[in-house]
Amino acid sequence: MNFELSQDHKVLQSAVRDFVEKEIKPIAMKIDEEHMIPDTLVAKMGEMGLLGSYLPEEYGGAGLDMLSYAIVVEEVSKACGSSGVLISAHTSLCSGPIYTFGTEEQKKKWLPPLNSGDIIGCFLLTEPDAGSDAGAISTTYTRDGDDYIINGAKMFITNGGYKGTGVIFATSDKNLKHKGVSAFIIDLQSHGVVILKNEKKMGIRGSYTTAFAFDNVRIPVANLLGQEGQGFKIAMDTLNGGRIGIASQALGIAEGAFALALAYSKERKQFGAPICDLQAIQFKLADMYAKIETSKLMTYKAACLKDAKKSYTMESAMCKMLASEAATFVTKEAIQIHGGYGFICDYEVERMYRDAKITEIYEGTNEVQRVVISKLLLS
Amino acid sequence: MKLLVCIKQVPDMESRFKPDAAGVWFAETDLAFRMNEYDEYAVEQAVQLREKLGDGCELTVLSIGPDRVVEAIKKALAMGCDNAAHIQDPAASGKDPWQIASIIAAYAKDKGFDLIFTGMQSQDRGSAQVGVTVAELLGIASTSTIVGFDYDNGTITAKRELEGGIKGVVKMKTPALVTCQLGLNIPRYPTLPNIMKAKKKEIAAIPVADLLNADSLATTTSFHPPAKKGGGIVLEGDVADQVDKLIAILKDKTAVLR
Repeated sequence: MNFELSQDHKVLQSAVRDFVEKEIKPIAMKIDEEHMIPDTLVAKMGEMGLLGSYLPEEYGGAGLDMLSYAIVVEEVSKACGSSGVLISAHTSLCSGPIYTFGTEEQKKKWLPPLNSGDIIGCFLLTEPDAGSDAGAISTTYTRDGDDYIINGAKMFITNGGYKGTGVIFATSDKNLKHKGVSAFIIDLQSHGVVILKNEKKMGIRGSYTTAFAFDNVRIPVANLLGQEGQGFKIAMDTLNGGRIGIASQALGIAEGAFALALAYSKERKQFGAPICDLQAIQFKLADMYAKIETSKLMTYKAACLKDAKKSYTMESAMCKMLASEAATFVTKEAIQIHGGYGFICDYEVERMYRDAKITEIYEGTNEVQRVVISKLLLS
Repeated sequence: MKLLVCIKQVPDMESRFKPDAAGVWFAETDLAFRMNEYDEYAVEQAVQLREKLGDGCELTVLSIGPDRVVEAIKKALAMGCDNAAHIQDPAASGKDPWQIASIIAAYAKDKGFDLIFTGMQSQDRGSAQVGVTVAELLGIASTSTIVGFDYDNGTITAKRELEGGIKGVVKMKTPALVTCQLGLNIPRYPTLPNIMKAKKKEIAAIPVADLLNADSLATTTSFHPPAKKGGGIVLEGDVADQVDKLIAILKDKTAVLR
């Protein structure tokens, strides 16, 4: 058993760290304030290869592994949770299922512009009345000649505002529940795709969270992903992998907040000494760090299991749950260590606290993760 | 055309340094290492020239040290070097600039490099001797502390930094060596696809014993980390008093006021 990153992973980690330090960290506050990741940053992330890390080189990806992807999302999220989720949703929820379930033609057509970042991807499953109960979606598809026609509504779609490429789920008959669901690749520039709104949110404000309506949108039959009726399986499999991305995002947010809290505790003086001399603060730092390290081990383990093509459903559920709960805990304590300053928007821990909360909710709420874990334990 | 760039892996200079057991250098435990900053400019300049000259050109990166230096080598490969030489030496940090330069010269002497790039100095030892000594040992031209670089048909035009903000321009014919100053260019980030491609590039591992033929001329005998900073001086009294005290301190301890 070896708990150290390989030299190749260390090279990647330090390259991404340098990139984040210079290109993302200085504008992280602005991204939050303006509810917008600048297009120039998206382009730079594309050039750097951050948007196609684990996809094969033949489809324009970097050809690295899942652990590299986890490191990328973690390092980016240390500075900016919004940019972290852009990468995560794009890579593991859009490029991921196209690579895993797509035909050779589909992969050649859709993956290169996604991997280069010229087009941003999203995953369209959630609906106003179908969140955790994903089998209950009511967006429909019907066949018409060489097209499928999609009607319905989707919401809370991360990256939706880019109107790029999506993997969309629709049902042929709602009564069939999850057995009626199919997955399609959709060009969101298609006629009949309407953005209803980009939501205003508590955190990850730079990331788009979009509500869509689909009004008789025609999709060529060539865009069916997998087989008809296989959609629910594709969605669940995709979310399994996606959880490693969200765990990495949460881990990064926690590490970012911890670094600030640790530094602040050494600088801030009260009662004539730095507050890190107080056991009350020392115990907080110990609890925070232990939760971060636990989450990191589980996240890296889930990524390594996926790389080794072993079963990782249990670990991906656990890492998502552990890391997101570490993120909300660590960011909350980071504010406490900062005292009144932590509550002020000029201090980054305030943003990190807001960014952390969503990681307990999306890509399967932590309650759903507990269902997944316990089901596997009892099956 | 054959190019060589020599790099060193150094500790993150923000680390807290402690003496090693013998007290002659810093202990490596708990230190994070990275490519010497000056060498990043050297690599970038070499890669830019390699790209300009195209397929007829070969760029080798060399580093001396224990296994950990392969990390810095891999970064240089991901930035665009073609292949690498890792001179394996677990005891590199104990060698003086003369020995390090001798090792590099022994490696380079029969390889026919037209141009060698090094950093101006290392961030940890800071001798600024290795690059120019390599040139001397190889009997080739060199110039140091360059902040501008151009190459055309066998001639190098280098802008050098002199003291006090003055710059000079030097022209040399190849074969030659240049040592690179901070700010020479903007070192690129190794992109993810290039990190992947670097995995397939050749890293020749050469035991240092095959190249080492010089005794040290200088020995580092002890190592002293900076003393822990005191609490600072808090000036008290009315403003006029504080100003007088401040002026006295500035005159006494600094060159700000004379």
